[in-house]
Amino acid sequence: MADMAAVPEARRRFSPWPAVGFIVLAVLAVLFLAPTAGVLLSSIKTTRDIALGALWTVPSELYWGNFAEVLGNPAVHRYFANTLLVTAPATAVSIALGSLAGYVFAKLPFRGSNLLFLVVVSGMFFPPQAILIPLFRLFNAVDLIDTLYPIVIIHIAMGIPICTLLMRNFFAAVPTALREAAILEGANEWQVLTRVALPLSLPALAVLAVLQFTWIWNDFLWPLIFTQSDEKRTIMLGIVNLKGQYSVAWGVQGSLSLIASLPTLVVFLFFQRYFIKGMTMGAVKG
Amino acid sequence: MERENRFWRAILLALPLAVFAAFVIWPLASSFYYSFTDWNGFDPDYDYVGFDNFAKIYTDKLFLNAAVNTALWIAAAIAVPTACGLALALLIDSRIPGGPVFKSIFYLPICLSAVVVGQIWIWIYQPDWGLLNTVVEAVSGERFNYAWLAKPDSALWSVILAWSWQQTGLSMVIFLAGLTTIPEELLEVCEIEGARALQRIRLVVIPLLAPATVVVIALNIINSLKGFDILYTMTGGGPFNSSDTLAMHMYNESFKKYLMGYGSAISVVLFLIALTIIRLYFRQLRKVDELHG
Repeated sequence: MADMAAVPEARRRFSPWPAVGFIVLAVLAVLFLAPTAGVLLSSIKTTRDIALGALWTVPSELYWGNFAEVLGNPAVHRYFANTLLVTAPATAVSIALGSLAGYVFAKLPFRGSNLLFLVVVSGMFFPPQAILIPLFRLFNAVDLIDTLYPIVIIHIAMGIPICTLLMRNFFAAVPTALREAAILEGANEWQVLTRVALPLSLPALAVLAVLQFTWIWNDFLWPLIFTQSDEKRTIMLGIVNLKGQYSVAWGVQGSLSLIASLPTLVVFLFFQRYFIKGMTMGAVKG
Repeated sequence: MERENRFWRAILLALPLAVFAAFVIWPLASSFYYSFTDWNGFDPDYDYVGFDNFAKIYTDKLFLNAAVNTALWIAAAIAVPTACGLALALLIDSRIPGGPVFKSIFYLPICLSAVVVGQIWIWIYQPDWGLLNTVVEAVSGERFNYAWLAKPDSALWSVILAWSWQQTGLSMVIFLAGLTTIPEELLEVCEIEGARALQRIRLVVIPLLAPATVVVIALNIINSLKGFDILYTMTGGGPFNSSDTLAMHMYNESFKKYLMGYGSAISVVLFLIALTIIRLYFRQLRKVDELHG
C-alpha cells in the first residue's frame, strides 16, 4: 500500500471538482452505510419500538436488553467456542502448509512446477458444491459427521491454494543470494525456510492470518453440512438457528448479528491494510 | 546439489499436496464419478446409471429455473458490482479529500459474513418497518407493505442487490490497485494536450484498466456461483423456488431429497461453468501479477 500512499500531485489533479466529488462520495457513503445502520439501531431498541415503525430513527434512550439476552444465552457461548475451535487450528495449519509449498514453488522450481502451482491455485475458485458430496460420503464413512473435525480439515485443504499463492509471491521476493549464502554456510532448506525466508515474510503471514481468520469465521456451508446437533454448531449457523427462537425479537437478532461479526470487524479495523493487500495481490477471493 | 534439492522438494511438498489432493482434488474427481450413480446418501451401495442424471437435467423444470436464475445472477454480477466498483474507484482516486476513509467505508462489508449481510438486508426489505418501504411510504404518503423477499417477482433481485452491495467493495479495491499502475506521465500529457477529465477516463484510464476489469468480472462471476449462504439466509431459494440457483438446487436435491447422484451431476455442471471462468482468469493472471507484483 506504500505505493498507493505515494500517489503524487499529478494524479490528484485528475478531477476538477473535488468539492462536488466529495459531496457525491459522502452521499453514496451514507446510502452505503444505511443497511448496516438498521442492524445497529435494532440492537439497541425494544421489539415494541421496532414493531411501531421506529427502527430508523435515532433512539432517545439506549436499550441494552438485547445484548444482555444474547450474551446471557449459553448457546451463544458454545457457538463462539466452536467457531474458535475451528478457526484457530484451520488458520494456523493452512498457513503452515501453504508456506511449505510456496517455498518450493518460489525457490526450488522443477520441471512442471508451474503447472502444478496453477492446479493448486485454481482450487481457490472451485465452487464448494463441487467437492461436497464425496466429502460428505467420506466423513460419514469414518463416522465424523456432527463433529468439528471435517470442518477444520476442509478449511485447511481449501486454504492451501491462497496460502501457497501468497507465500510463493513473498518468498520469490526474498533475494536468492540470501538463500545461497545460508546454504554455503551449511544450512539446509528447512533452516533457510524457517530462519531466513519466514522471518522476512512476516507481512505475508499477517495478511494470510487476517484473510483466513475472516473467511473461516464467516463460513456457513461446511458447518451446515457437517454438524447436526446444537452442541456442534458454529456461530454463523447458530445465528440462523436462533432466528427461529427469536422470530419476532428483531432487536435480539440485530445484536446477535453484531456480536457474531465483532471478531472479524475488529480484525478488519485494525488490519485493514493487510486485508486489502491480500485481496489485491492476485490473491483474490471473497 | 540437485539430489539434495529433489529430497527437499519431496519433503516440503508432501504434506500440503497430500492434503490438497485428498480433500480437494479427489472429491472433485469423485463428484464426476458419483454423477453417474444413483447414490442416495445413506446406503453404502449404489448403482451405475450412466448418463441418466444428466438426461434428467433436461427434463427437470426446477433445474431450468435454477439455471435461468443463475444466469441472471451472473449477468448482474458482471454489470452491477463492476460498474459501481469502477465508479467508486475513479471517484476515490481523483482529488477528493477523505479518500482513505471512503475506501474503508465501501470496503467494510467484505469482512461481514454472508449470513450477516443477509440479516442486514432483511431489515431493509422487511414489509412492515423495513427501510425500503419506510422510504416509499414517506415519499408517496400512502401505506406500503410490499414483501420484497416473499414475492416471486422480487425475491431473486432483492437478494442479488444485497449480494452486490457486499461485492462492490472488492471490485473497488481491485480497480484502485489497477489505477496505481497507470503512469502519471500519460495523464499529464493528456492534460497538456487539453483532454478533459471525462475524455481522459473514457479514452485512457478505462482501456488501461482492462486487465483489472477482467479480474473483477471473473471474480464476480465465481463469487456469484458460490452465492449460497446469502440466498439460504434471505429466501432459502423461495418463494416457490423463484430465487433458486444451481448451488441451492444442488443442495436441495442432495441434502433435502437425498438424491446425491443427481446432486453430483448438478455440481459437475456448476464446476464446468466455474472452470470456464477460471481459465479466463488465469489467462489474465500474468498481467495482473505484473500490476500488483
